[in-house]
Amino acid sequence: MATIIRLSPIHTPSLSPPRLFSSHSSQNTPNISFYLRPKPLSFPSTSLKPYTPARPRALVVTSAVKSLSETDLVSVPAEGEEIAGKLPSETGVYAVFDQNGDLQFVGLSRNIAASVLVHRKSVPELCHAVKVGIVDEPDRAVLTEAWKSWMEEHIKATGKVPPGNESGNATWVRQPPRKKKPDLRLTPGSHVQLTVPLEQLVDRLVKENKVVAFIKGSRSAPLCGFSQRVVGILENQGVDYESVDVLDEEYNSGLRETLKSYSNWPTFPQIFVNGELVGGCDILTSMHEKGELASLFQK
Amino acid sequence: MGVTKEQVEASLTSKLNPSHLEVVDTSGGCGASFVIEIVSQQFEGKRLLERHRVVNSALEEEMKEIHALSIKKALTPEQWKKQQEAEKPKPAA
Repeated sequence: MATIIRLSPIHTPSLSPPRLFSSHSSQNTPNISFYLRPKPLSFPSTSLKPYTPARPRALVVTSAVKSLSETDLVSVPAEGEEIAGKLPSETGVYAVFDQNGDLQFVGLSRNIAASVLVHRKSVPELCHAVKVGIVDEPDRAVLTEAWKSWMEEHIKATGKVPPGNESGNATWVRQPPRKKKPDLRLTPGSHVQLTVPLEQLVDRLVKENKVVAFIKGSRSAPLCGFSQRVVGILENQGVDYESVDVLDEEYNSGLRETLKSYSNWPTFPQIFVNGELVGGCDILTSMHEKGELASLFQK
Repeated sequence: MGVTKEQVEASLTSKLNPSHLEVVDTSGGCGASFVIEIVSQQFEGKRLLERHRVVNSALEEEMKEIHALSIKKALTPEQWKKQQEAEKPKPAA
């Protein structure tokens, strides 16, 4: 019975589902505190209203997903490729358990298998097994209700919020996209006379940085399709790279001509790894398609 | 003034003696953008980067006018043959 006493409403305000997509805000999440009240007090003012959206929805959902305890536990395969075969790629809720069978996190996803794969990669030690509940109704509110029903069931049973769902715990939520690095500048500005040849600066830049992409435009807003594709591939590989805007006449004045002769390569973008030219967009794309980039960046 | 598809083809043919060459003008008429597929014996034993260099230097003059040159394929005749075979639909058994 002690568990019931611990069921204090302290948890309530922090009980909001993890974000499904980074663009979504949780502002439309209805407060669920009425579930946790010791007694369902009557709300004279609201109960008379003919339309109360929260309740009927909750009823629909309880029939849509089985309760957490009734759902079968599925162990998470060690190999990433197997996850897609074993778990559904559908919308729903999922609960992640560690090796000791302790619930670590309850999440909701538009693609359960993909989300579990992400968790498995980022925190393998906490992803031992999962329970999955598919929600046929693609409506976000229904999904949220399903998530809540599992959360509440767990809280009711243990008196605790799963550690991964505690506010401030960012282990399981997708990290907001890292702030993009600024593009590198080769010179202090076109008004300053360089004391060393530009070529020497280029040489030092590509040798001191593992991956350097010389692109048209900035990395956050590439100005040509080829540069854009290169940035896309590098971001996709998750590689830490430096970018230099060859169109920046103020800070990289004269770079295009210098670089063409330095690398003996006539076009942009140009990608250097460990001081060596890998190639342009076509080569990078082709290597990306063949899966050769990962080993290149590891070197 | 841009470069024509014929100019690009002529330069590549004379310098690289390709067994297969396909040049597509993707510029929409201004002659500044081309996509190339080329198969040549001269690529034998060369890495992709080196192959692209060979093509780029064969087009050195034209490159001054070309804004975007996309080398989609730069293969040796042997690789080309293999790829053709792989792409060919299997004859019905």
